[in-house]
Amino acid sequence: MPPVVQIRNLTLGYPGLVLFRQLSIDIEAGTTLAVLGANGAGKSTFVKMLLGLKSPLMGDMSWPGGRPKEIGYLAQMTEFDRRFPIRVRDLAAMGAWRGLGFWNRLDRAGRNRVAAALNDAGVADLADRPIHTLSGGQLQRTLFARVILQDAPLILLDEPFAAVDQNTETHLLAIIRRWRDEGRAVVLVVHDLSSVLDHCSHALLLGGQRATHGPVEDALTPDSLVAQGYLSESQATWMFREKARTPESANV
Amino acid sequence: MFELISEMWSFAFMRRAFVVTTVLSASVAPIGAFLVLRGLSLAGEAMAHAITPGIVIGFVIAGLSVTSLLVGGLIAGIGVAVLTALLARKTILRSDASLASLYLIALAAGIFILSAAGSAVPLKSFLFGSILGIGDPSLLLVGGVATLTLVSFAVLLRPLIISTCDPVFFESQTRRPWLVEQGFMLLLVLNLLAAFKTLGTLMAVGLMILPATAARYWASTITVQLVLGFVFAVLSCWIGLTLSFLFPETPSGPSIVLVAGGFFLISALIGPLGFGGRLRKASDAENTTVARTYTKERTE
Repeated sequence: MPPVVQIRNLTLGYPGLVLFRQLSIDIEAGTTLAVLGANGAGKSTFVKMLLGLKSPLMGDMSWPGGRPKEIGYLAQMTEFDRRFPIRVRDLAAMGAWRGLGFWNRLDRAGRNRVAAALNDAGVADLADRPIHTLSGGQLQRTLFARVILQDAPLILLDEPFAAVDQNTETHLLAIIRRWRDEGRAVVLVVHDLSSVLDHCSHALLLGGQRATHGPVEDALTPDSLVAQGYLSESQATWMFREKARTPESANV
Repeated sequence: MFELISEMWSFAFMRRAFVVTTVLSASVAPIGAFLVLRGLSLAGEAMAHAITPGIVIGFVIAGLSVTSLLVGGLIAGIGVAVLTALLARKTILRSDASLASLYLIALAAGIFILSAAGSAVPLKSFLFGSILGIGDPSLLLVGGVATLTLVSFAVLLRPLIISTCDPVFFESQTRRPWLVEQGFMLLLVLNLLAAFKTLGTLMAVGLMILPATAARYWASTITVQLVLGFVFAVLSCWIGLTLSFLFPETPSGPSIVLVAGGFFLISALIGPLGFGGRLRKASDAENTTVARTYTKERTE
């Protein structure tokens, strides 16, 4: 099966500022790629480049199977307007608007899909609530329902766990695992190493103008994490000693 | 009451004023709703002032015709919008400061030119509107703009909702995100021009913003916001025109906007999302519903 996205010799940055150089990576269907790095290392820029919102300084990005019509996307919360007058059901349904044209309503099958997605995300009970009454976790679940409805072969999640409680994170991670099992490619920007180690198959580490990647255990070694400015040496020593003792519960 | 209504109705200019403001309300209500939701309320106000020199220059050159109003106003409005974007992108100023600088220059220039040219139109009706000035061409202008606005909204509504609520997601969904924004700004300028005769340059944006902010206190969905915004707008116009008729010295613009202001204050006081209502925070009881749903799912 060809990779969903093929990236060759990619240099990403802004005029006068290189974020990282020479990244060549295939993003395969049925994998979960965690993107890690210190603030300003280029994680969100990388996601925006995959969406086509940002051009690389050098290098190529190609879609061997053709660019998917829909790319699932969950942006950071910073620009989201939480006071907008819209109900949970309608916010999620935006994920299914693309095929509808300008003024067609969702048909019965479409409405059922919305209901199922809300149920999957654990917010079926809140379907009629206006979004300004939701907690951060409830809103993030609703946005996950929207990604479910986008039904995309490639899903990009930018810091999906930034403001959610542990219950919600566990629930959302289960959805991400299911997406992987369904053969979708998932790219997620994360800060917390523990969620990566347990739930992602691959990692892309950005920092120090470099980009290293591979299966999680190869890409995230104490050496690479320190060399690329993600952890200090003492943090790395402490963390990996913890991991050696209890591999199931590595916490930063 | 009935006497008053039949007396008003016996004047052709009052009948025209009622028709034109009703159509105008249908047109400006959706514009106002999205100005408020997009955080552009003050930008709308500034834009209303910015088109003044265009209208004035058109008036000085070609007289107060609908064509001169449209051409002059559109050139000034689009000019200011483009210059604002340019200043915000290429210089240190943010877009609000750029727009404020430009509209102040434009407003001052407009009033200066109008006075220097020794205008035949009294300054007051220019700034605050006059119900006496609504001829057939003005009716056609309002009707045309309203038709264009409502048809455009049928097409733009979904993109506008997504781009207002979640702009980054919207960018990921379209190749030309700027199209929606620019289209909306163009509709704004056209509606300000349509509202100019009845409300004047200073009050034109009042009929957009106040009914929309009043509706905001009641609306949890965009549909309610749009419908209620229109209802408040049209009631403001009818009551405002009646007041303006009862007190012949008062210009129509301020009396209409004042009534809209009344709807705003009442809504702020008693609307479910105003001072009186329970706002934003979900109660603890509701939070546990999610936890219950989740636990139920896990056990299944």
